Formats: sequence, structure tokens, C-alpha cells
Amino acid sequence: MSAEQVNRDQALAKAFVTLADTLVADYDVIDVLHQLTLECVALLRVDAAGLLLSDQRGTLQITAASTERARVVELFQLQSDEGPCLDCFRTSRPIAAPDLRERSDWPRFSAHTLASGYRSVHALPMRLRSETIGALNLFRVEPGALEPEELQIAQALADVATIGILQERSIRRREVVAEQLQVALNSRVIIEQAKGVLAERGQLDMDRAFQLIRGYARSTNQLLSVVALSIVDGTTTAEALVRPLDGSTPP
Amino acid sequence: MGHGIGESGVLTPAHRVDCAAVGMADMTEPGALERLLGEIVVAGGTDAPQRICAACVAALPVDRAALTLMSGADRQQPLWASDTVARELDELQFSLGEGPCVEAFVGRHPVLVPDLTETGDDRWPMFAAAARRTPVRALFVLPLQAGAITIGVLDLYRDTPGMLKPDELCGALRAADAAMWTLLGLEENVTNHGEADGHGPTSVDGQQPGSELHRLEVYQATGMILEQMQVTAEVALSALRANAFANDRTILEVARDVVARRLRFDKEKP
Repeated sequence: MSAEQVNRDQALAKAFVTLADTLVADYDVIDVLHQLTLECVALLRVDAAGLLLSDQRGTLQITAASTERARVVELFQLQSDEGPCLDCFRTSRPIAAPDLRERSDWPRFSAHTLASGYRSVHALPMRLRSETIGALNLFRVEPGALEPEELQIAQALADVATIGILQERSIRRREVVAEQLQVALNSRVIIEQAKGVLAERGQLDMDRAFQLIRGYARSTNQLLSVVALSIVDGTTTAEALVRPLDGSTPP
Repeated sequence: MGHGIGESGVLTPAHRVDCAAVGMADMTEPGALERLLGEIVVAGGTDAPQRICAACVAALPVDRAALTLMSGADRQQPLWASDTVARELDELQFSLGEGPCVEAFVGRHPVLVPDLTETGDDRWPMFAAAARRTPVRALFVLPLQAGAITIGVLDLYRDTPGMLKPDELCGALRAADAAMWTLLGLEENVTNHGEADGHGPTSVDGQQPGSELHRLEVYQATGMILEQMQVTAEVALSALRANAFANDRTILEVARDVVARRLRFDKEKP
């Protein structure tokens, strides 16, 4: 076994132990999903990862991403119309596009993705028995397919995400799946609204605003969605979050 | 609260599916509900709650519908109920302080109950007991919401047990979006330019009703406007909408300008 292999196995074990720890405690679904997208980038040869969920109105919504940079988020969002994620969701099967220059089935998506510097895309379904609730989307700067072992890890991470959203893998009732899915989607909306408040108050970009909310939630030991809601309803003032940041930044 | 909506309507069952009365074509054809909801959003006006409820009863496998504005678990204003049973179930929940409407509002998620007889008595003991004495056997409550904003609920009641199919749930969620969009700002008396005199947005651009509610830029812009105007998220989203209507632009276009910092909504100049 190579040193590289040993390192990855250790990192993988650590990632799943951390996720398992999180899922038995009181956790914030968006925070867990965000963590999962970061693990994808850390464990796999991918440069950006995103989770898209069905909004049950016929559209896939980006619910977590390894980066909140507007240009990357737009690539995920684009796939409400066409792209590997939408195909993966519709067919409930993994989709691999090792080189977008050689694919012609998603002209608009491919053009934007290539222009943003990514060559290869993979999408893996998020399934619970017969139901598909969304897809995990992986972008790479370099062309080339992921190895079978990497795809297995990615699928396992997608499965953990599914369980995290639905709260338990024993859910058999479709109405509970539908309710939980809407909870996750709406939590994401609250976070976007809170990002807007902070972006305006601190004149920050959206990526920075998200980091600030997440950092504040962690340092005060609160759930991400609780902090986001308190920012939107004004009980946590934007100043409280922005000021420590200003103080820590050298002039 | 005086926001120009009449008393809860009471229609007899015979009138419930009188499509012609609310200007509906054949509601069984695919996409009919979406088209009708789009028309209702464009037309706006005080009869929108009645029209949305009627559209749900006609197009979805539900027998009764009601729309209620809520500003707290114990503060609500019934806007319309398709019949006496729906109205009474609606009012009962608020007098009891428990039930699916309160749960949907507080929990910010739909409450879908395909069989009332299977509801555990610990969930809403008093409401469930009362509901079982009516013909209603299944209920689906959709919050009218966008993130931190929740302005009310759409209640759909069914006299036979059974879950909505995915396309029916999709229709119900879109009806709730349409209601959200139509009712937004009503409580805060924000002027929705042109709506009162019938000059709403000139077209829906083939969009699903309320679909612009579900764009990242719209959520982010809502947060930015909230901070600029020092108002609630609901007023901020209303202001965004009003600006789009007044300037004959889509809400997404205006939201993108706000996020890109090309447009501001300051206190002096809302």
C-alpha cells in the first residue's frame, strides 16, 4: 500500500467518523451538507462539489456547495434546465462526463462550465429506496474520469447526505420525505437571505458572508440555520458578526 | 386588520367545482393548474385567495381549501374558505392553538397527513378528535413562505384518505407559491404598484407562478434590501416585487442589480 493510499484511507475514516458523530447529535442539515461537499474536495480528485435537491416543483435547487463563489454556484444552478445533474436525477443513475469538450448533449451547460475552467463533471444520485431526492455534482479542472473506488466514496458521501436530510434511513412514508426535503430547501433560503444582510452591512461578497455566518455559528455553538434566522429577523445584529471580522483584519 | 379582503366565503358543495364561476377551463388537462395560477398572480386583486382555493379544488384531488394569513402561531386572519367545513377546521386550529396549520407555520414546512385516522393522538389530540367528526380524512397544509418569511398557510382537505401523487404535490406547492406571491405585502400595506387598478405585470414570461421566488439572487437581494431599508424580510421582498412591477422588469433582473450593487433601496427612496 502506497503512502498516498494510507493517507487517503486515514482521511476517509476520519471523515466518516466525524459525519457519524454529527448525525447522532442535534445537527444543522445545511451545515452537514456543506461539510460533505468539503469532504468530497478533500478526499477525491475534484475541485468543486455541490448538492442539488429537488424542490418538488420540478426544479433542482443548489443546497450546499464546497465554495459559495458566485460563478461556481451559477454552474450548479444552471442545471435546473440541462446538465449531468438533471440527467442523473431523472434517471437515478450516475452520469460521468470525463471531458466536456467531447460531449454535445448539454451545449449551454458545457459552454459555461468550460468557460469557468472546468473540464470534467460527475453526478451521483441521492436515493432512498425508490425515491430520488437530488444529486451530488463533482467538477474537475483536469479532464478524466474518476476511478471506480473514488466513485464508491462519492456515492457513500451522497448516501450520508440523503440520510442527513431525511433524518433517518428508516423513513418509509413518502409524506415525511416530502416534508423533510422542504425543511432542507427552506433552510438554505434563510441562509441566502442572511448572506444578503451581511453582504450589505459589511460590504462583503457572498462567499465571505457565508464563512462569517458559519464561523459565528461554530464559535457560539449554535446551529447554522438558527444563526441565519436570527440575522434575518434582526435578533443577531449584523454588527455583532461583522465587527470582530473587521477587528481581526489588518488595515 | 383592514386589508380589503372580504369575509371568508362559504360555498355550498354544489358550487365548489363550478369552474365557469371562477373563469376556469377544463382543469384536468396537464398544465391547466399552472396556467391558471399564472393568470391569478398576474391579475392580483382581492379575489385572488378565492380563485386560488377554487383552482386547487378543481385541479387537485382535494374537496376543500382555505387560505389564512398568519403573523404568529396565535395571530391569524382567515382570507377565504371554500366551504363551511374548511372554514370551521381552519378556525378550530387557531382557537385550540394546535393543529397542522400551526405546525406548518412554526416548523416552516408542509404538513402532509394522508390519513387522519392514523395520526398519533400526541400530535394534535384535540384537533384530531374534532377533525375526525367531519367528513375530512386527509389534509395537506402548505406554508406560504420564502426562507425566513412565512405569511400564512394554504390548507387542502380531502374526504378520502390518500397521499398526493408527486405531480399533485407539485401543483399544491405551486398554488402556495402563487398565494405567497399574490398576498405578499398585504399585511404591511406596501403598495403593489398597479395591482389595485388591474395593471399588474403584463406577462408571466412563460414562468411558473412564483418561480422567481426560488432564485438565489432573489433571496440574497431580499437580505440586502432588508438591511438597506431597515425593514422586515417580508417588506424587503415586497419592495423588490413592487420595484419590478413599477419598472416593468422581472423580479430576477431587479434582484441581480441589487446583488451586483447597481441598485439600492434606501430608506429615503424605497
